[in-house]
Amino acid sequence: MNIRTILFICAVSIFIVTLTAIASYYLRRARRSSKRDWEQLLHRLKNVDRNSIAEVALDIIDESGQRRSDEGSALLEPSEVWRLVGGLDGLEVLEANCAVLIDLVFYLQQWYPEALTAAEQLRLNAREIEWNIGRLRSAQKTGKLESVFVMYAQPAVATYYLMTQRVLAIYEQGRFAMLPDLRDAL
Amino acid sequence: MQLTGLDLLLWVAGLGTHLFLLGVLFIRRRFTTFPIFTALIIANVGRTATLYLVQTHGSRASYFYTFWSLGLLDTVLQLAVVYEMYSLTFRPLGAWVRDVRGGFVRLVIVSVAVAAGLTWLATPHARRWMQVVVIKGNFFSSVCFSELFVGMVVLAVKSGLPWKTYVARISQGLGVYSLVDVLVEAGHSYFGVGHNTQRYTTLSHFRMATYLVCVAYWIIMLWRNAPPSRKLPENLRGHLIQLQSMVNPALVRIRQERTP
Repeated sequence: MNIRTILFICAVSIFIVTLTAIASYYLRRARRSSKRDWEQLLHRLKNVDRNSIAEVALDIIDESGQRRSDEGSALLEPSEVWRLVGGLDGLEVLEANCAVLIDLVFYLQQWYPEALTAAEQLRLNAREIEWNIGRLRSAQKTGKLESVFVMYAQPAVATYYLMTQRVLAIYEQGRFAMLPDLRDAL
Repeated sequence: MQLTGLDLLLWVAGLGTHLFLLGVLFIRRRFTTFPIFTALIIANVGRTATLYLVQTHGSRASYFYTFWSLGLLDTVLQLAVVYEMYSLTFRPLGAWVRDVRGGFVRLVIVSVAVAAGLTWLATPHARRWMQVVVIKGNFFSSVCFSELFVGMVVLAVKSGLPWKTYVARISQGLGVYSLVDVLVEAGHSYFGVGHNTQRYTTLSHFRMATYLVCVAYWIIMLWRNAPPSRKLPENLRGHLIQLQSMVNPALVRIRQERTP
């Protein structure tokens, strides 16, 4: 058996083991998330100060999600935004909660497939928040976090705020029994 | 070419299970959702019948060309089925989801690179150069398919897109078959096709038996009904439609104004 054949056998073995491990991990993850019950989902939501989130978000958008252009908009100082959001750590909590918000609509979608539109919209919003946080992480590495924080953090918070309002509205419109629990958690 | 009893048994079982699956696809009207997958099954039935006729009435050369031409068609249709599964998963609202495009391109590049690397390492023993090409070609395509199916699972889970019941079942069957096929084709490459083709034939039988198990799995799963869904209340349906149209412009504005 020559070296190349030995390498071939090793490479194929590693390939099969790696691919099987990846497939098993992700299939288990998908099964776990589809079997989560309501309490487990709410339990995954991390605590955030909803008043601070609303204050930061409503500084640049109105309740309907429209961009504000009046004189009283975009008045928050960068230091205030940093304090209200809780810095990059606070944004990472919001990022983690985004996944739960999508799961909450996915939970609904198991019975009502039409909720797919909302789930897809929330998924895109979550991606947008991830993108903003990614830029902030890069800025942190280059020591420019504070100078660009507001530029990325405030839109991320505004999107998160809209996401929570949207999930609540969906459950409210559907008159689902779990609405009070959800309202408390969000 | 002499056919053994096991060859004939696998041939007949293959034709029978494919006809059965075709019946399920049409009776349960699954062909409307999976037209390409249905075409693959029809092609497999036609391929089995054609090869049998050519084998019994045609020459050795005509069998060779028919076998590889239909094999090529099979590979093209399998690629089309991969596209169909991706399309059903990653186009939830009728358009490809934007945030998965980058991941998909990376997946294709990595899949082809890994498959090319592994294929380059393979050194099958064969009497003719054509046999080397065939063994290497089969190995390359089996590695690519297995990566594409596992990649689909990873992309769907990471992007939070749910799998529809039947898409998941068809993909799981093809994914498992592709992984077994990688092992079989690696075995073909390792043992080669010298004067003694016994090992090559045994491995081929193993692959065919695995495929029959997959077809049986599809028959059962596609016959069963998907979990029933309830009707969305009218007010919530209206709200969801309104939500979609309201939110999009706001998001675009926020993105444009607050990000470079």
